[in-house]
Amino acid sequence: MNNETIKQAPLLEARNLTKVYEDGVKALDNLQLRVHPGEIFAMLGGNGAGKTTTINLFLDFIQPTSGHAFINGIDANADPLEAKKNVAFVSENVQLYPNFTAMQNVDFFVRLGGRHQYKRSDYEAALVRVGLQREAFDKKLKDFSKGMRQKCGIAIAILKDAPAILLDEPTSGLDPKAGKEFTRLVGDLRDEGKAILMSTHDIFRAKEISDHVGILNGGVLVAQKTNAELKGVNLEQLYVEYMAGYMEETLETGPLTNNLT
Amino acid sequence: MLSILVQKELKNILLSPKFFATFLVCSILILISVFIGINEYKNSVVQFETNQLIAQQDVEQASSWMQVRNIAHRKPTPMQIFVSGLHFDVGRLSGISTFNDVKLVRSPYSDETLFAIFRFIDFAFIVQVVLSLFAILFTYDAINGERENGTLKLAFSNPVSRVQYLFAKFTGTWLGLIVPLLIPILIGLLLLILSGVPVTSSDWISIGSLIALSLLYITFFIGIGLFISAITRKSSLSFLLLLVIWISGVLILPRMGVMAAGQLVSIESVAQLEAKQEAFERARWEDYSAEISETWQARNQEMEGMDEDERRAYRDEKEWEWLEVDDAARKRVQSDIIENNRMLMEESQNKKKVQEQLAFNLARISPVSSFRLAAMNLAGTDIDLKRRYEESMRRYKDDFTEFTQKKQAESGNSGGFRIEVDSNEGVKLDFGRNDQTLDTSEMPQYSAPIVQAGTTLGNSILDFGLLIVFIIATFGGSFLAFLRYDMR
Ligand SMILES: Nc1ncnc2c1ncn2[C@@H]1O[C@H](COP(=O)(O)OP(=O)(O)O)[C@@H](O)[C@H]1O
Ligand SMILES: [Mg+2]
Repeated sequence: MNNETIKQAPLLEARNLTKVYEDGVKALDNLQLRVHPGEIFAMLGGNGAGKTTTINLFLDFIQPTSGHAFINGIDANADPLEAKKNVAFVSENVQLYPNFTAMQNVDFFVRLGGRHQYKRSDYEAALVRVGLQREAFDKKLKDFSKGMRQKCGIAIAILKDAPAILLDEPTSGLDPKAGKEFTRLVGDLRDEGKAILMSTHDIFRAKEISDHVGILNGGVLVAQKTNAELKGVNLEQLYVEYMAGYMEETLETGPLTNNLT
Repeated sequence: MLSILVQKELKNILLSPKFFATFLVCSILILISVFIGINEYKNSVVQFETNQLIAQQDVEQASSWMQVRNIAHRKPTPMQIFVSGLHFDVGRLSGISTFNDVKLVRSPYSDETLFAIFRFIDFAFIVQVVLSLFAILFTYDAINGERENGTLKLAFSNPVSRVQYLFAKFTGTWLGLIVPLLIPILIGLLLLILSGVPVTSSDWISIGSLIALSLLYITFFIGIGLFISAITRKSSLSFLLLLVIWISGVLILPRMGVMAAGQLVSIESVAQLEAKQEAFERARWEDYSAEISETWQARNQEMEGMDEDERRAYRDEKEWEWLEVDDAARKRVQSDIIENNRMLMEESQNKKKVQEQLAFNLARISPVSSFRLAAMNLAGTDIDLKRRYEESMRRYKDDFTEFTQKKQAESGNSGGFRIEVDSNEGVKLDFGRNDQTLDTSEMPQYSAPIVQAGTTLGNSILDFGLLIVFIIATFGGSFLAFLRYDMR
């Protein structure tokens, strides 16, 4: 699988991506990563590790201090409108218009994403797929729980049908069952050939479905492992040790970042 | 893309709970104000016509043309329904007589002081105060609210340009606020037509311009709402800022401008002006009596040494000559006084105009002043209402005086009166009296000054222009701010 995907062009690529905020905080330091079609890349990292910063750079919400973020080969900060045609985004806390129903929200954001061909039945199918109860379709969003909003968010991403998907801690705050369902859905999308970059705190779920796991600490990608490399490894221990910052030399394989370049 | 965004803005406004409430309040207010305005107008028309009739009868019943005390009345205009302006504050009538200057007295508010306390709510007031507040209420969180909600990020994860987004935001908000507003306005106009108020085509132009002006005014508030919401991160802050802007713009700055002008250019009060006029008048009459008594002393000296019979004969011989001399002197005094009054008045009015212009220009730092001034201009209830009427009444007074003097001459009277100065009885005036009623069919009738819509539009061009400049500034500012807006 590894050999096969490397031949293909990556759909999401960070090249020497660095972000220093106005107040001098270096949130991201020379990040290198690639996500190919049919891959899930899980960014692990504690609060403030730089996960959201990475995703914001891909979405042109912030400008990189140096380096580039490419979506389908398009520099996201040089040609954001073109780049964003190729990516769907689900934030850690999907917020929609409270006075609109689920349907109205989905309709608006999907058409904003450039998809005009859908009928109501298509929206319904997507909402059913993500597991939203039918009764909620025409209810106003202001009464929705966080889980229901996340479901709407992923439905919108599915309907946008972009080749790449950015997920920023999509399961944080969800109950275990909802989290599991969400994860399964992400796995399905990968199987459909999407390139998925997902930030998360959830080590076990990351290990379960990811093709690559990267550990981000203080803006530095301190480790990157393929799924195969993680077989039999206690990822939790690895994570904690990397977070503490003293495993770099002792681990034979070392950060996979080197292999990529 | 644009239409998707515009539709969404429209829907967002129409579906928001505050929309229904504000729409209802606006509609009710506008309809009530038009309804009451129509009634008020009709009442003032009835009053106007009755008073004119009474004045006419008074004129007819006067015993001589010199005795006639004519009254000219200010004519109500249908435009006062929408912009009452100074209608309630300017006097409704003025006496027209040879020796008194025109002065508008008895304003509607001075007659019915109760209504002066909270003042009349007209369409212009609703737009100026209520609708501007609503425009802010719908725009204060236009940008930062979406950021707080997180919807901005989701929207901009799509290929949407910022310019497009803001333009759609503006268009959608504008349509969402303006279109519902046009409904009660149109119903109000229908009410106007059905109620049989005589609306001239010039009035229709003014009404149309007034509506256009109101739309510009609300557009400005939509613009400032967008601008503030695009330069702040939190909607609570932008709301507070906008409230401060609204209060200073609507309630404080216009008054400050006028107050500042009052301090910078001081002009005398009406009482001071009148005191000046009276002082001159008194001094002039005192001069006159001194002159007269000198003349008589001279005449008495001429008669010195004559006996009683000679004196009588001399007096009889000289009587008409003396009378003419005295009369000429008296007329000189009167024309001097009138001339002086006019001069003082003109001087004071010129100063007043300077003060007014300064006041308005200072007040115009707030576009609210521009709206108000232009609205009153369009309705003809502006600051010049009084001046226009007084000027036209003065012209009428001249015509009227000329006419009565002619009539008086025709009726075989000298048109003057005889003054006898007697050491015992003092000054005695003698009018030539006769007892028939007067034929007023040829008397000139007063007609109200007509201001055409073209003129008022011309007068409001500056304020229209200023509003447009303010709108462009707020939108330019919004675009600049939003292009650099941090969506996170
Ligand atoms: N707008 C900002 N200005 C300054 N520092 C910021 C800003 N946003 C995030 N940071 C800092 O950058 C670092 C990375 O933040 P973030 O990418 O949000 O982390 P994560 O999503 O992994 O929790 C943190 O130290 C955070 O405090
Ligand atoms: Mg984060």
